[in-house]
Amino acid sequence: MNTGKSETEEGKKRSGDVIVETISRVMVPFIQLFALYVIMHGSSGPGGGFQGGVIFGASFVLLVIAFGIVNAGNRFPEAVNTALFSTGVYIYAGVGLLCIICSLGAAQYLNYGFLSLPVHFEERRALGMDFIEIGVGITVMAVIAEIFFNLAWKKEEKKEGGKE
Amino acid sequence: MIPSIDLVLLSLVVVLAIAAITVRDLLSAIMLLSAYSFLMAMVWVEMHSVDVAFTEAAVGAGASTAFLIAALSRTVRWEKK
Amino acid sequence: MLEWLIEEIFAKYNYWISITIMLIGFYAMIAKSNLIKKLIGLSIFQTAIFLFFISLADIGPIPRGTAPIVSEAMIHKGYVYVNPLPHVLILTAIVVSVATLAVALALVIRMYEEYGTIEEEEIIEKERELGV
Repeated sequence: MNTGKSETEEGKKRSGDVIVETISRVMVPFIQLFALYVIMHGSSGPGGGFQGGVIFGASFVLLVIAFGIVNAGNRFPEAVNTALFSTGVYIYAGVGLLCIICSLGAAQYLNYGFLSLPVHFEERRALGMDFIEIGVGITVMAVIAEIFFNLAWKKEEKKEGGKE
Repeated sequence: MIPSIDLVLLSLVVVLAIAAITVRDLLSAIMLLSAYSFLMAMVWVEMHSVDVAFTEAAVGAGASTAFLIAALSRTVRWEKK
Repeated sequence: MLEWLIEEIFAKYNYWISITIMLIGFYAMIAKSNLIKKLIGLSIFQTAIFLFFISLADIGPIPRGTAPIVSEAMIHKGYVYVNPLPHVLILTAIVVSVATLAVALALVIRMYEEYGTIEEEEIIEKERELGV
């Protein structure tokens, strides 16, 4: 909080709670596994790229809240996040264009059945949908994490870590 | 839908909505909003729209709460009268 | 008269509760002076509209609808499923709502940096002093 009085730098640098840090360290892999499950089951049940991406981004948010911007936040630099969310968009657009290219212009954009994969028509559809979901998931994950970091910390505070 | 479960959940939702806009502590208001979102997700599971319920539980109760708390840490916590 | 009342008014309690929640959110947006309280009201208002749409999709107690994942056996047994079209509309609306919230919060933080307060009346007061 801005209203609180400023403490000494040493007291603020490392004021983590053992319980919070340990629990979040244990929980994060399971949250990410669940997010991958949600992304991959988006074509046949509830869930999908957006929901899985939000859960994946929430795991990063948990990590940064537990360990502070100094210790964990600088592991997710803005340049990497920007690269990630454009990668997702490129995956989406690329798979869509690949459908047109593989069918030599006969199929529509994102008509997954015409991807040249060595499986049946129906399986190609399921696989194409999964590729799209992965792209959406990567974009949403990076955007959610980046929005949270930019809302919670100023640019200068992110670099030097003035606030937990 | 099952009317009895529906009515209980919806009345709890109304109570939580009134509480969320009434409390003076903004952190409590955000937490009440998170509980409200979870209850809304339960209402939607009970109305058989599982996909919307999943999204609401992930976004409304997870991401929105994180964003609101992040904004609160840059501003003030107490609402003035 | 009583039958009409039960069928047309009480059996459609979902819509009444949706309108109630909508008015609660609207009250918060208009009457509260704190900007974050206003955003909470906005969130509640949006959720009320989602509730309205999902209630439109739902099928009443008799016959009970199931989730819209259809298989051959379900149709042979005579099950009915709820209308999936409003669900898809609301899925998009939820995504839009979180984006709206993030943009609004960024604006609130910027206003706090500019004016030092997030109470609407004080902001208007300060603007008046500055002669804007």
